[in-house]
Amino acid sequence: MTTPSIGFTDERLPNGLRVIVAEEHLAPVAAVCIWYNVGSKHEVEGKTGFAHLFEHVMFQGSRHVAKTEHMSLVQAAGGTMNGTTWLDRTNYFETMPSHQLELALWLEADRMATLLDALNQANLDNQREVVKNEKRSSYDNRPYGQWFHKLQAHVFPAPHPYNHPTIGSMEDLDAASIDDVAAFFCTYYAPNNAVLAIAGDVDPAQTRAWVERYFGSIPANPAIPPLGDLSLPPTLGGEVREVVEDRVPLARHYFGFRAPPFGDPRSDALELAAQILAGGKGSRLYRRLVRDDRVAQDVAFFSLGLIGGASIVVGQATVRPGVALDVVERAYEDELERLGREPVTDDELARARALIETYELEALQRVDERADRLAMYATLLDDPDMINRQLDRYLAVTAADIQAVAAEFLRPDNRVVLTYVPAAENESEDTAA
Amino acid sequence: MTLEEILAWRPSSGLPRAYQFPGFERAILPSGMQVLAVHLPGRPLVAANLIVRQGASDEPAPVGGVTVLAARALTEGTERYPGLELIEASERLGATLHAEASWDAFSASVDVAAPRLRAALELLAELVVHPTFPEEDVARLRDERLNDLLQARAEPRRRVEQAFAASIYTSDSPYARPAAGDEDTVRQLGRDQVTRIHRAVLDPAQTALVVGGDLSGLDLPGMAADVFGALGAAPEGRRDGATVTVPLARSSIDRTIVRVYNRPGSVQSEVRIGHIGLRRSVPDFHAVQVMAAILGGLFNSRLQMNLREEKGYTYGVGAGFEMRRGAGPFAVRTAVHTAVTVPAIAESLAELRKIRDTRVTDAELAAARDFLVGVFPLRFETPGAVVAALGGLFVHSLPDDELARYRRLVEAVTVEDVQTAARDHIDPERVAIVVVGDADAIARDLEAAAFGELDIVREEVGAEADDLADAAEGEAE
Repeated sequence: MTTPSIGFTDERLPNGLRVIVAEEHLAPVAAVCIWYNVGSKHEVEGKTGFAHLFEHVMFQGSRHVAKTEHMSLVQAAGGTMNGTTWLDRTNYFETMPSHQLELALWLEADRMATLLDALNQANLDNQREVVKNEKRSSYDNRPYGQWFHKLQAHVFPAPHPYNHPTIGSMEDLDAASIDDVAAFFCTYYAPNNAVLAIAGDVDPAQTRAWVERYFGSIPANPAIPPLGDLSLPPTLGGEVREVVEDRVPLARHYFGFRAPPFGDPRSDALELAAQILAGGKGSRLYRRLVRDDRVAQDVAFFSLGLIGGASIVVGQATVRPGVALDVVERAYEDELERLGREPVTDDELARARALIETYELEALQRVDERADRLAMYATLLDDPDMINRQLDRYLAVTAADIQAVAAEFLRPDNRVVLTYVPAAENESEDTAA
Repeated sequence: MTLEEILAWRPSSGLPRAYQFPGFERAILPSGMQVLAVHLPGRPLVAANLIVRQGASDEPAPVGGVTVLAARALTEGTERYPGLELIEASERLGATLHAEASWDAFSASVDVAAPRLRAALELLAELVVHPTFPEEDVARLRDERLNDLLQARAEPRRRVEQAFAASIYTSDSPYARPAAGDEDTVRQLGRDQVTRIHRAVLDPAQTALVVGGDLSGLDLPGMAADVFGALGAAPEGRRDGATVTVPLARSSIDRTIVRVYNRPGSVQSEVRIGHIGLRRSVPDFHAVQVMAAILGGLFNSRLQMNLREEKGYTYGVGAGFEMRRGAGPFAVRTAVHTAVTVPAIAESLAELRKIRDTRVTDAELAAARDFLVGVFPLRFETPGAVVAALGGLFVHSLPDDELARYRRLVEAVTVEDVQTAARDHIDPERVAIVVVGDADAIARDLEAAAFGELDIVREEVGAEADDLADAAEGEAE
């Protein structure tokens, strides 16, 4: 198969906005994606959850756009849109029929330039309640709901800013004020702290002209405070264990490992390792724990790339009823350690490479994914061309690379083991026992 | 110009580029199997889906879940590729084989680079036609489903969906149970039932192979005839010539009922409000789409604007019709802070009444219509999406131009059509209101609100879980 070759332009407006345009006319569709270099890692104690709450406020109107009108205008134009917040960044995106591109650019510019004109206490209070309900439905009211929050706290001990959840705490959400919103906006939502990527059925010259028109005179913030030193020791230096009782019917082990930062070549080897360990029915963990030994209901293993000192690798195995917890844990850990002891077979490596190649090409078929990845690589690595090199990097990973990265990171003294067990909470369980 | 002058001027749209849903070619093999091929230049990853118009709603009630189990067990090996060899062979092609069953259909699919399409189709045919269904693998997958049912009970979102379906359909309607079966039926499933249902569903006259992507230089009908020839020989027990049936969907409610499934300490109530909805073949399909978008489909739908943007009761609320070969459910779906459970239900019911009682505004109609028409090209950007849409046409026996004419028919919908659709298909005075939440916190308010007959289910989830776990484990060993 052919490796991707996505042509794009990459330039900066005088106010610092980085603009990336990738033209491609297969479908009459254009994607706009803007990444702000601000995430929950920029939050300070007592103000957790703020970056995400702010993302909601971005849909509450600006000087020329009424509350929720952003969604109305995009949808009436036949587009889709949303925003997401994560540890490192916040992004906003619209996918539009290509003749509606200018509308999306104007909407993003208006809120970057004039958000505070529309900010009021009622809208903030309303979105605070929405976000508290998001926290309830995504985490608090779900079985195993806090697993990632617990893993991140162990893999990134305080005071590292990856320690706290992006969704924040109820207390901090309650405490967020209009002044906080205004200060956050003035500090971080400046053109020199953003990357604007546009991909798809566009005329690059016309697109650049629109971008200059709408964004060109938004003032930069020359005083964006730098984050402190986020560096971390490469590994945890000892195993961390926690057992959680929860209203769950099946016990489940979660595993966490500290891993190299996003963009480190060892991350590519970890991606291949993840495919070989848990990528579908042909993978090692599935084969052994689910299929052959029949001790696990399901397994997972994947990495989440982060730039602030280290990434996190996450594993999961749900324990089948009647199976001892440590049987599942030992089998899971044994497969990870085996990866560090001996090289994977040629066939395993070939299968993993072939699948990753398909997944990459599949993802890059869509213009929204192209725009998102260009903005991501520019924001996190200052290297948007990584979109064209990432697949080659994966395909170049050798068995020795996988063995080395597994030996270095998938080891007991770099491991968090978080075990959810069914809570013994009602009388019937006592009588049944 | 100043920034203010620039931003004060809202851009107007450019000229839309012409768009048509891609045309497709149909070939019919001697066996009666259809081949639908859609050529999408510049799309080297090809999506292929073999789809049979036989699904979970066609299976006998005592073996509920067997079709889904059979689909899951397809990848457990074939005569030529025992065990995981089939999976490994497909992975060498960079292709993932996937099989599944829904209420309406049984399907197996693969995405692969065009040069390897033939090799991938050979594996797909092997998987569909010659599975061996090893006894112990079928038993393992059955036990995984039983464990999954335990998980579903503990997950409020899944629990409320099951309870809602069981509340609106009579127990002799297949849709009253989960498509993958419930504890009583799944426990009895094994290799024999799976083998029998597999033979029964594989009728070439009810089967289509849908392939989309850059097919230049490929003789797809010829390839399909070679690869799927084995489907022509009818094994014993096949439902040959079976017509596609309309599953029974009978309402079990004739007045509003309220059912609360107690989950002590829940910080939110998972709420479903609705009744039996519509079949995909409903004549006013397009008016229903527009009406449902205004009520609960758009981001700024009436329900969202009320419950989320005005009241802050929820992170999200939606409403819509799940249209199947038979009449699937109509439901308002949301999760709300426990303390506002009753007002959230009251507001939802008020919106259901309002969309019937008063006409939507021209602006509301335009917003929904323009979204559905405008978003159409976005929906079909990739071969996988085009193939899925064509598969839907086949499953529901819709005319070939259904997608080509979709936008024209949506554009023709009027405010009167919307109101008629609401009046014909939504009945707020006869709904099931099903809640999974903290009964002690909400029962008194629910009683006082008197939405309908209140029934509080305080089953001991823990005890049931233990029983089931023992049963699952007992049969596994």
